[in-house]
Amino acid sequence: MANLAEGKILGNDYQKRTRKIIFIRVLLAPFIILLAVCGTLVYHFSTYSSHQVRSELVRITEDHRRLIDQFFREKASNLQFVISSFDLEEVGSEAGLTTILHNLQIESKAFFDLGVFDEKGNHLAYVGPYNLTGKNYARSEWFRAVQQKGLFISDEFLGVRNIPHFIIAVRQNEGKKAWYLRATIDSFYFNDLVESIRIGKTGEAYLINQKGLLQTRRRSGGKLMEFDAYFKDYRLDHEKLSSFFTGERFSERYLYAAGPLKHTDWFLVVRQQIWDAYAPLTFAILISVIIIISGGSVVVILGYILASGVANSLSVAKMEKQQMKTQLIIAGKLAEVGEMSTGLAHEINNPLQVMKSELTMIEDIISEIDEDIKVRDTESLRLLNDSVDQIGVQIDRCGRITQGLLGFARQTENTRESIELQKFLPEIVRMIEEKARLENIRIVQALDPDLPSIVSDPNQLQQVFLNLLNNAIYALKDRKSGEIRIRIFREEKNVIISIADDGCGFSPEDMEKAFMPFFTTKPVGEGTGLGLSTVYGIIKGLEGDITLTSELNAGTQFTIHLPIEAPAKNKNSC
Amino acid sequence: MANTRLLLVDDEERFLVTTKSVLEKRGYQTFVASNGLDAMAILAEKHIDVIILDVKMPGLDGVEVLRRIKQKHALVEVIMLTGHSTTESAVEGLKLGAFDYIMKPCDVKILLEKVDKAHNRKQAMEEKIQKEKIDKIISHPLSVFEKD
Repeated sequence: MANLAEGKILGNDYQKRTRKIIFIRVLLAPFIILLAVCGTLVYHFSTYSSHQVRSELVRITEDHRRLIDQFFREKASNLQFVISSFDLEEVGSEAGLTTILHNLQIESKAFFDLGVFDEKGNHLAYVGPYNLTGKNYARSEWFRAVQQKGLFISDEFLGVRNIPHFIIAVRQNEGKKAWYLRATIDSFYFNDLVESIRIGKTGEAYLINQKGLLQTRRRSGGKLMEFDAYFKDYRLDHEKLSSFFTGERFSERYLYAAGPLKHTDWFLVVRQQIWDAYAPLTFAILISVIIIISGGSVVVILGYILASGVANSLSVAKMEKQQMKTQLIIAGKLAEVGEMSTGLAHEINNPLQVMKSELTMIEDIISEIDEDIKVRDTESLRLLNDSVDQIGVQIDRCGRITQGLLGFARQTENTRESIELQKFLPEIVRMIEEKARLENIRIVQALDPDLPSIVSDPNQLQQVFLNLLNNAIYALKDRKSGEIRIRIFREEKNVIISIADDGCGFSPEDMEKAFMPFFTTKPVGEGTGLGLSTVYGIIKGLEGDITLTSELNAGTQFTIHLPIEAPAKNKNSC
Repeated sequence: MANTRLLLVDDEERFLVTTKSVLEKRGYQTFVASNGLDAMAILAEKHIDVIILDVKMPGLDGVEVLRRIKQKHALVEVIMLTGHSTTESAVEGLKLGAFDYIMKPCDVKILLEKVDKAHNRKQAMEEKIQKEKIDKIISHPLSVFEKD
């Protein structure tokens, strides 16, 4: 019934407010809770897994530290085995030393060369690529250290040969004399041992000494014996493994694990760029965020659509309720006015009848006087007659008004005939088609061909449809073009006829008064205000119902319900 | 029709006076009654051809008066005069045998047209009855002595 106004008349504010309330309370609140749950999970997961990543790095570092320690222990043991197995004479000979180096190299390629020194630091014998025999090392740092400690592993140094290398030296006491065996460790071999540690894409391991000089190459940059630029940021623990972060900018932030080696003063440092170390975590969080955002937007969009839909139907329901209320108010008012009209019409008709009789008498008397005395003043007589006629005209006018009132109060009798509306209505439309065409108005008829014929009063129905169509044309008068839509269909025991236009419409106040007798929106003199009231009276008299929906400047729709079966004629008098 | 005898029944006194004068001027012998009982009294005394009867009156209302008239004076024609256009009471009046009904306010001219028609019908009816009587007497002369 309200399809004309749907979406138009709707209180837009009400709809927006409802949508907002539904959207926030029903959807956004759970969504926020869900978000909070996700957020908490992600937070705890990331804390946990960053801890995991860190301990994993520490574990790897620990393993490798043990490995490197073992390497030193092995190499030192090898040398200690040599000095305890052979005396100085055997070792001090070139041939003997060559055999020993050869045997050591079979076990490990790490041994690069081998040298034997007496207690004064004289190089007694040497096997290796350099010619070092005869040189004195009494002042060398390593020599003094090994003299004191018995076992010394040096830092990387350039030495006489001027290439970075480090040595392992051991002392053997033969009686009061002591002699020393020194082995150079192949820097490349050793480097490979440390460098081969790889974690992820950027994970790397290297050794530094106490002063921050690199003792192995660093894959991401840093040559042997170079000062480690990051050294100042390290938080090294001389007892155990430590883990820390460095770097300001994200691309240079590293996660570190570092620990001291047992046999040297070096530290094993393992580091990985943050983004790499936390890549799986970052990935997981990224995926979660994407899911939350995309899922969230889907939820929000669906929620919005749902909320809109619900708000829309609520608005429609509210509007229909409002309309029903309006219709009830209108019906109540109309009933009151109807009752009053009947009484009023009757009370006025009686004096009118008296006036009529009096008028006839006056006319009679005037003509008698005229005959009797032949009035000379013919002009006065003419004026008098004219005046008397005018009284008659005005009495008739009053009579028509009371007729109209009674028409509204459905005091008219009706005849009953079978009417096929799908034929009947187009005939009426044809009567006003020309008039509509002049105003550039299209009349669209949608008539159900299977419509049953109804039993009703054709003359009165014709009056109804003509009135409504003329009103529609009037409403569209000032538009450049317009459309009148007529629809007829069956609904249970009724036939429903709707006549809609997209013309000027009624304001809500006018809508309530539309069916009232003498209410008109037309200028004075153009309308009697009895058109719609008569329509109302007729439809009520035919046991039907008529309702009106309208919006100012949007259009008007009249909906008429007529019973298919002829209702019993009124028997109860009032 | 000059020799029509009219009875005007209405509760409006001035209407009765004026209309009586207007009608008599046109040659209609007119009697007036301001209520149903007076009307019945006049009917009992005078010979009346057509009655103009207001539907809505205090006391006996028009429909009731019509019913009584038709019981006692079946041949008298009655024209109902009503303030409502075609109230159910007017319709009921037609069912009860009223000749016609007229909506107030009504021209004297139109009123008289209906009166004439009503009188014509009455006369036709009376003639028919008369003729039947005569036919009856001709075929059964003894019936003259029968009571009506």
